[in-house]
Amino acid sequence: MLPSELLAVWKRKGVIWPRYAKLSDDNLEVAGNLIEAYKSHIGQKKSVVKEFVDELEDEGYDYRFVRGLAFLLDRKSRFRCNEKINTVDLRRKIYRATREPGLPTTPEQRTRIIEAVATELRMTADEVDKFLYADLDTELILEEFEPLPASELLQEYNLSLTQTLLFDSTEVKFKSSGNWQQVFHSIKRLGLIYEAYQEGAFWVKVDGPASLFKLTRRYGTAIAKLLPVIVANPQWTVEAKILWKYTNEICDFKIESWKHSALLKKPRLPILSFDSLVEEDFAARFQALKSGWLLRREPEPVLAGKQVIIPDFSLEKEGVKVYMEIVGFWTVEYLLRKIEKLKKVEVNMLVAANETLACEKLAKLEKHAKLNVIYYREKVPLSPVLQHLEEAFRQVRAKQMEFVKDFPVVFTEPVLNFEEFGARIGVSSEAVKAALTEKPPQDYIVMSKGLVRKDRLEQIEKRIEEQISLKGRLSLSEAVKTIEADGVEDAAGALEALGYRINWHGIDAEKAEVVRP
Amino acid sequence: MIQLWFDKGTLLLRGEVGTPYGKWDPRIACYRIKALHYRDVTSYLEESKLQYRDEVPNLPPSQTLKDNVQLRSYQKKALDKWSHAGFRGVLVLPTAAGKTYIALKAISLLKAQTLIVVPTLDLIDQWRKRVKDCLGIEAGAVGGGENTVSMVTVSTYESAYLQAEALGNRFMFIVFDEVHHLASPGYMQIAEMYIAPYRMGLTATYVRSDQRHELLPTLIGDQVYSVKIEELAGTHLSPYTHQKIYVELTPEEQRVYDEGMNVFSSYLREKRIVLRSAEDFQKFIMATGRDRRAREALLARNRALKVALNSEAKLNQLAKQLDVYRDEKTLVFTLHNDLVYTISRRFLIPAITYQTPKEERREILENFRSGDYRAIVTSQVLDEGVDVPDASVGLMLSGTGSTREYIQRLGRLLRKVEGKQAKLVEIVSKQTVEVRMSRRRREKTTGEA
Repeated sequence: MLPSELLAVWKRKGVIWPRYAKLSDDNLEVAGNLIEAYKSHIGQKKSVVKEFVDELEDEGYDYRFVRGLAFLLDRKSRFRCNEKINTVDLRRKIYRATREPGLPTTPEQRTRIIEAVATELRMTADEVDKFLYADLDTELILEEFEPLPASELLQEYNLSLTQTLLFDSTEVKFKSSGNWQQVFHSIKRLGLIYEAYQEGAFWVKVDGPASLFKLTRRYGTAIAKLLPVIVANPQWTVEAKILWKYTNEICDFKIESWKHSALLKKPRLPILSFDSLVEEDFAARFQALKSGWLLRREPEPVLAGKQVIIPDFSLEKEGVKVYMEIVGFWTVEYLLRKIEKLKKVEVNMLVAANETLACEKLAKLEKHAKLNVIYYREKVPLSPVLQHLEEAFRQVRAKQMEFVKDFPVVFTEPVLNFEEFGARIGVSSEAVKAALTEKPPQDYIVMSKGLVRKDRLEQIEKRIEEQISLKGRLSLSEAVKTIEADGVEDAAGALEALGYRINWHGIDAEKAEVVRP
Repeated sequence: MIQLWFDKGTLLLRGEVGTPYGKWDPRIACYRIKALHYRDVTSYLEESKLQYRDEVPNLPPSQTLKDNVQLRSYQKKALDKWSHAGFRGVLVLPTAAGKTYIALKAISLLKAQTLIVVPTLDLIDQWRKRVKDCLGIEAGAVGGGENTVSMVTVSTYESAYLQAEALGNRFMFIVFDEVHHLASPGYMQIAEMYIAPYRMGLTATYVRSDQRHELLPTLIGDQVYSVKIEELAGTHLSPYTHQKIYVELTPEEQRVYDEGMNVFSSYLREKRIVLRSAEDFQKFIMATGRDRRAREALLARNRALKVALNSEAKLNQLAKQLDVYRDEKTLVFTLHNDLVYTISRRFLIPAITYQTPKEERREILENFRSGDYRAIVTSQVLDEGVDVPDASVGLMLSGTGSTREYIQRLGRLLRKVEGKQAKLVEIVSKQTVEVRMSRRRREKTTGEA
């Protein structure tokens, strides 16, 4: 983060964004030159390094950019005081030496005092003069410097620039592809308050307790500290309101990963570790089962009112999703809070609770219709979990099939793809298929990936027959071309539905022949 | 039962009841109230005869206080006015009029857990010493690396602001030294995020050029007492004289000065820019980030000013003045730190700037007090509040046009010592903007900056 006077922005029509340093040849050269300058000035005074920085400014680069880079490099440097001599001590001796003769107001008086102190300390008068203020910032010596590639310096600069702008933010909202555990942990640690909501994607809006009363930049610093945790993800969008202090207007700020990710330094994501051995053991055994359920750790957060729960696992099969939370060690207060939160959850949530720590409070968990609790002692047993999953699957599937069957639509298109249709009405393709297989719409034939209207199938049959009679034989590849030209992707399904057979001669589709048995 | 508790600088209220002071917070489904309204909310609940559980205050243990404070008549009057205003309000007294003692007396009257908020680290030390001397207890400190909370605690504005979430419910009485700072957009949140029902503001310069002092009444109460330098000078403060000495720039300096100022003013003329206020100037500085020519104009002005402020002629004049006041305790004031070190090197005068190590600064002030050191050269750090008891001569080599700064520098010299005649000498470069700056700062010297 940079001093605010080095913040460089563009501002137009209520929109504000930092003047990012693109990773262009020009900028890389400036950054590279500065890094070189620091490297080559090891052992010299800070003021000498700064002179070099000033020169770069004079070459026409934005002074805020050049100083911003130098500011970051200062933090990668170690400066130490020039001399081994204790300068505070030296000054004390000088000041005391002025007591008798009085403050020197002529060069001669001054020299006499300096010389007296020099003799006492066994130094030369010149050395005394030189060391008098050797501990001032500009007099410090650059001792160590940690070099880095120019591109990284630019990325670090851009991240710092963004954070500096966020100092003046009143709120931030973002969506992101993951790292939720760390994100919410940071929000809490930084004393911020969030509100989560679903609006196309899962969004989180963050400000602080006192934001309720008025717009305030108070939480800007905390928001700036949250930024690296968000942009560490592969995908994100960050939007903020900036209260621009010079004009007192509210400006919009927005950055998106696809556009800005390459510009910004990306902090390393924390390695996902298990909260407990119980979780780790459960995940391993469950995955070994190969049950057809896909287990994911730290899935996307689940809304519980305006707050969120990040379940330990999500388990997914054919579009049916069940979340699972393993409650290990807990106190009554903790559990009550958790229950309060879980009550608001509108998804299928399975809770595995440690029985040895159980108490009557667990009964409260069970009362909630959507909460299903199973107990464990040392290990989470697999079979009740699977039972629950299958039951959930059946229920969801049945509901979805019901939904599809009752869906008020009259099919008219010649071809209908299960997956597309499922996506349109919000049901898994498997449920669509199952429902439509059970009760196909009139005049449609069911195939593996979708429906085809009978007249379209008849049209296909006519063309295939034409081709066979024209050429005497029809290769599979030609038949597929014909069928696909009619908008049916599932050529094999169509051929089967029409009662054709394929005679293979090797594995080459050119040589395979479509025949009517 | 209604429940009221403290949450990160605000109050939360749960129960089947709203309040005129709170606001529904949909994020957590609860009423949220500014900590500032703690007194209002509790008295509202009591007047409405509503039963409630107050879990808000988290006070450090109470300690028995001694009371070694003797107030002068005007100090007593100030304290009375404040007590009658419900233990709230601002007292305006000149520097060196003993504001500290009024606050200490108030603490011993209220016997309440108290936070004293001050602008600088030096003032933390100074207040702690006073608390020890007058109330007989060790004060806690928050800021400058320390973090101890006790019955009486001293903090900087910065730390009180940054730690409002943690400290807001730990004190019943809060004293703002140099209270004009409190009106800034950030620091005013200290008043909003602390529950302390009893509040006192102290300052020598109530009015701010940005008019934000108008916010102070809602934050800590009205201005309940005010007395001017003239009313106290001679009786409670030392009498003083003011002298202005003009020096000529050397021909070379004059040339550099004119050249720089010329670049600046012709740029302003060309762009039809008029700089009337500090805000205008701030905006102009912002513009220099975008506009290279604007930046060059600004740098030219700064070069010119530096020449005028740091002129060789001034240093020669300073040498003369140091000879004139050979036996007096002298403070030398400058605007820039560069000049502080130039003077310190040339005249071997102890220097105090923000870069001076804390220990060395303490030692220099101590030696100055005891008379071992005869002079100190400094830029801004001593401007506010720091107590330098018996300096009698102030030599101003440069300063801003601010009246506040002028009053505070003058205040450094006015602490009452029998027989002391304070002298303030300004050394001003002729034919430069300095002449105007010097005039501006003296225009109003009392109460209003």
